[in-house]
Amino acid sequence: MSRTVIIEPVTRIEGHARITLQLGDAGEVEDAKFHLTQFRGFEKFCEGRPYREMPALTARTCGICPVSHVLASNKACDHLLSVSIPPTGEKLRRIINLAQITQSHALSFFHLSSPDLLLGWDSDPVSRNIFGVMRQDPALAKDGIRLRQIGQTIIETLGGKKIHPTWVVPGGVSEPLTREKRDAMLTLIPEGLDIAKRTYAFFKTLVPKFKDEASHFGNQPTMFLSLVSPKGHLEHYDGFLRLKDAQGRILEDMVPPHEYERLIGEAVEDFSYMKFPYYKPHGYPKGIYRVGPLARLNNVDACGTPYADVALAEFHMLQESGPIASSFHYHYARLVEIIYALEMMERLLRDPTILDARVRARARSNRYEGIGVTEAPRGILMHHYRIDDEGLITWVNLIIATGHNNLAMNQSIRQVADAYVDGNNLQEGMLNRVEAVIRCFDPCLSCASHAFGEMPLAIELKDATGRVVDTLRRG
Amino acid sequence: MDRASKGGRKVLIIGYGSPIRGDDAIGPLVADRLQAEGMPEGVEVVSRHILTAELVADLVEHDRVVFLDAAVDGTPGEVRCRSLAPDASAMSTMAHFLDPRELLAWCETLYDKVPETFLVSACGSSFDYSNYVLTPTAEAAIEPMLEWVRRLIEDPLVMTSG
Repeated sequence: MSRTVIIEPVTRIEGHARITLQLGDAGEVEDAKFHLTQFRGFEKFCEGRPYREMPALTARTCGICPVSHVLASNKACDHLLSVSIPPTGEKLRRIINLAQITQSHALSFFHLSSPDLLLGWDSDPVSRNIFGVMRQDPALAKDGIRLRQIGQTIIETLGGKKIHPTWVVPGGVSEPLTREKRDAMLTLIPEGLDIAKRTYAFFKTLVPKFKDEASHFGNQPTMFLSLVSPKGHLEHYDGFLRLKDAQGRILEDMVPPHEYERLIGEAVEDFSYMKFPYYKPHGYPKGIYRVGPLARLNNVDACGTPYADVALAEFHMLQESGPIASSFHYHYARLVEIIYALEMMERLLRDPTILDARVRARARSNRYEGIGVTEAPRGILMHHYRIDDEGLITWVNLIIATGHNNLAMNQSIRQVADAYVDGNNLQEGMLNRVEAVIRCFDPCLSCASHAFGEMPLAIELKDATGRVVDTLRRG
Repeated sequence: MDRASKGGRKVLIIGYGSPIRGDDAIGPLVADRLQAEGMPEGVEVVSRHILTAELVADLVEHDRVVFLDAAVDGTPGEVRCRSLAPDASAMSTMAHFLDPRELLAWCETLYDKVPETFLVSACGSSFDYSNYVLTPTAEAAIEPMLEWVRRLIEDPLVMTSG
C-alpha cells in the first residue's frame, strides 16, 4: 500500500518546513519533497515605501542575518543613487559582512550540526542536541560560543546599535571607524583564528568517519553559482557572477551582478511557498545549481589569504577531480570560510586607510531601478527594486540564498531517502539523515519564505487515503 | 557608593524582544531607559532582539542577571518578577532563539556556574506592528519594571512573585 512519511517540522534549522516521503507498495521511496509551509510576503508589503526605508525593512526579514539583508539592500540603493561609495566605506562594509559570516557559520557548525557529527545520526535523539555535545566535548561547545561572540562583538562594535544596526546606509556607512574601536576588534582576531584552525583540524579527523553519508548526502551533479573577485578569488561583498558546471567548466564568468536576470529564472510549485530559481539557458528544472560555501569554494581559483588557501587546497583533495559534489562538504567549506573571514578582517582592519573619515557618498536617486547582490552566509543574495519619481518602491524581487538551493535540497532529500529510508522498517536515524541533509545547506527559511511561528515535532506515516497509520514524536 | 559595587557584585541586565512588534519592545525600551539613566559601577545593560548562544559567555561573567521581557499570560500591564533556574527541557526548537532558562542550563553544563537570575516581565496588550512604540497600558508598566530592576541592583535578597 502506498504511504506518505511526513517529517514536520524539520528541526535545528531556522524556520519552518515539512518533508514528505511518498512510499510505494514495497516500502521504497517514490517521491520526496521539501515544503516551505509559511508565507510572509515582504516583496508585496514593501511596495509604496520610500526606497531609503528598504535596508531597515528588509533587515527584519531575518533576526539572525540582518546584516546580509542590510548590505544587499544598501547596494541596491547605491545603484539607485548611481554612486561609487568611498573605498573606506566599502572596506568597513566588507568587515561587517565577514563578521556576520563568522558568527552565522559558527552557529551552523557548532550548534546545529555538531550533535549529528559528534554523536552520530543513530544516537539517542533525547541526547542528540547541544547538551549532548556539551557533555561529549565541552571545549568544542565553548569554542562555538566564543566564536559567535567574536563575530557578534565585531558587528556591534561597527554597527554601534545592538538591535538591527543602521550604520550601513545608501552610499556607504554613516560613521567612520575610530582607532579605539579598530584596536578593540583587532584584539579579538587571534583568538578567533585559533578557534577556527583548531575546529578545522578536528573536523578533518571526522570526515573519514562519514564516508557513507558524504556519498549519499546530496552527492549530485549540479552547477555552482557565486560571486568571485575580478581575479577569480573568494568574494563575499561585491565582484562578478561565476557559474560552473558539474565538471568544473566555467559556463558564465565575470557577469555584472545587475545582469542576474539573464542567468536566473524563477519557477513556482504548488507544494511550497519557496521559489525555485534555475539557470535560464538550461531551463526548469534542469537548470539546477547550488550556492553557499560549497559553491563559493568550488568556483574560486584561490581564497587569497594564507591559511584559507592551504585549507582550500585540502578541500579539493576530498575527491579526485572536479568540483566537490557532496553537499555533506558544506560543513567543511563553512570552516574554511570562517578561517578566511577572520584572516581577511584582520587584513582590512590593518589597512592604513581604514580610519579615513570619508566613508559615505551622498546623492538623491538617479535611476528607477537598483540591484544589490552580495554573498550572505548561505549563498548569493539578490535585492532588486524599482521606484517612481518620488522614490517610492513600485516593485521588489528578493532572491534569497536558501531559495537558490531549493531545487538542490529537494534532489538531496530524494537521494538520502533512497539510500536510508525503508518504509517497512522506519527508524528514527533514517529520518534524522533526511533532516540532516537539509541542515548541510544551513537553510534560513525565515529569509527564503519569511516564516515564523511555533514548532512542535511530529513525524507521521500516512497511507494512500491520508489516514495516519503511525506517528513518531520528539520532545 | 552603591551596594552592587560595594560588594563587588557584577550585574547584567538584558532587555529583549522585537522592537517592531508592539508591546514586545518593552524589554529593550526599559533597557534603553536604564542605560540613559546611567548605571552604577558593576552594572551592565544590553538590548537584544532575541536571545542567542553567545550570551552564555556574558552570563557566566556576572553574579546576578536580570532579564526584561514582555509577557502574554496575565492581565495587560501586570508586572511580575520571578527567579529563574536552569532548565534544559526549556530548549527551543527554533535554531536561533533561546529561552533564558536554557541559557542558564548551558552555563551550568559548560561552566558549572549559574548567576542568580531574575525575569522581570510586563504583560502586553498588543503585539501588532509598531516601531518602538508601546500601548498606554505597557507604557504604564515601565516605571514598575524600572523599580524592580533598581531593587535587584541594590538588594542582596529580593522577594519575588509569579
